[in-house]
Amino acid sequence: MNNKKTENFYGLVLLLITISLSACTTTEIDEFRQGATNISSDEKIVILGRRQNNNYETEGSFVDCVAGIVSSGSDGIQVIAEQDFLDAMFPFFEPRTAPMRTSHLQELMRLEVAAQKIEEFGVEYIVWLDGFTERSDGGGSMSCVIGPGGGGCFGFGTWTDDSNFEAEVWDLDTLNSVGSISTDANGQSYMPAVVIPIPLLARVEANACNGLGNQLKQFIKGS
Amino acid sequence: MTKSKQQQNFLSESFLSERCSLISNVVAGRWFTRIGSTCVICLLSACAANTITLSGTFPSPLVRKLPLTVGVYYPDELKNYSFIEFDDNTGKDQYIIQSGTSQVELFNTLLPALFQNVVMLETLDNVQSNTTLDAVFVPAIEEFQLGLPSKTRLNVYEIWVKYNMRLSSANGDYIADWVMTAYGKAPEETFKSVDSGVQDAATVAMRDLAASFTIGFSGIPEVNEWLKSNDYLTE
Repeated sequence: MNNKKTENFYGLVLLLITISLSACTTTEIDEFRQGATNISSDEKIVILGRRQNNNYETEGSFVDCVAGIVSSGSDGIQVIAEQDFLDAMFPFFEPRTAPMRTSHLQELMRLEVAAQKIEEFGVEYIVWLDGFTERSDGGGSMSCVIGPGGGGCFGFGTWTDDSNFEAEVWDLDTLNSVGSISTDANGQSYMPAVVIPIPLLARVEANACNGLGNQLKQFIKGS
Repeated sequence: MTKSKQQQNFLSESFLSERCSLISNVVAGRWFTRIGSTCVICLLSACAANTITLSGTFPSPLVRKLPLTVGVYYPDELKNYSFIEFDDNTGKDQYIIQSGTSQVELFNTLLPALFQNVVMLETLDNVQSNTTLDAVFVPAIEEFQLGLPSKTRLNVYEIWVKYNMRLSSANGDYIADWVMTAYGKAPEETFKSVDSGVQDAATVAMRDLAASFTIGFSGIPEVNEWLKSNDYLTE
């Protein structure tokens, strides 16, 4: 009887430790509005990743994730797939040729072929996502052994992930920037290993995506 | 148990054990052969260079066509272009990147979108007799560089290509000869193979070339001068 109580106690402690360790993520979102926004149900937006930097590029998976959040739910906004837009607008939104400022966008829209294609798409806003996730503060050590009778690991590892992303929204009616939303999420992950490594991962990028996506949806809807 | 029965049992046991041993030998032999052949394949594949054949489809550029009939000639060096990446430790071929087909595919998509008419030329001989051509275009690869994460210690696959573009009139007179560079990178990801990383980086590099070529063609000083002097520029 006592043994069972002790087992339950240790189980509960382990569960609490797991929950407390895997929940170590903080997300901060800042919004800066420069102009009014509004979107009707038949209008669309496109979310594009910035890829002109030498040392990093905005991951396609993050762009897809934000697009998924913005387009989901009953209040979802229609989002054009990034690759479809890039292919249709080729060569104007490639890493080396994409407009970096709204003045470049104004120049681009003077080209009849580009303006016509944008109109065909029914794009109301272009959202530029720029940022990356950095891994730092790695510590601990883990050793794994494998032999004829089996294998196992022993040790402890920890690291910090820091996601910094910014979404800049361009209005294609006024050809101006209407604001930006930035997100900073960070969290510490742990990997204790006693025979089997147990990853207790901080879902930093997923939290940044959720936070940014939901805020972006509200921002574009003007609420 | 009588002696004859004992003998019979012994015989049958011995027969069974022989059969078992024969079966086990056959099975072991098969396994040995399999393991042996796997080892040989592994050893051979460790020695052989990995061949990566680049492929890809490219979008047609969104531009207004120039009112030109251009003859296009792909030299064999371009059509069969391959780059060999050497292993730094052994000095042997590590990767063979076959890029010729994808280069031809790229120009076949790009040029018809840029010029009113494109005529594929099998040879440059007797081009002078073709009076319908306004110009002859010959692309070539001068240099190719590959950056692998295992060598550069960066978490990206990189490809850099230097092209030489030559434009001449149908009678062989020089119009322009210029160099263009293309760069592409693709992030290294968990479970992403080298083949796939190189392929992604190459696709980005070739799109980069197509974008620069489309936007910059009329802006090449000699080309621009030739287009203006022949009233080919509409705006």
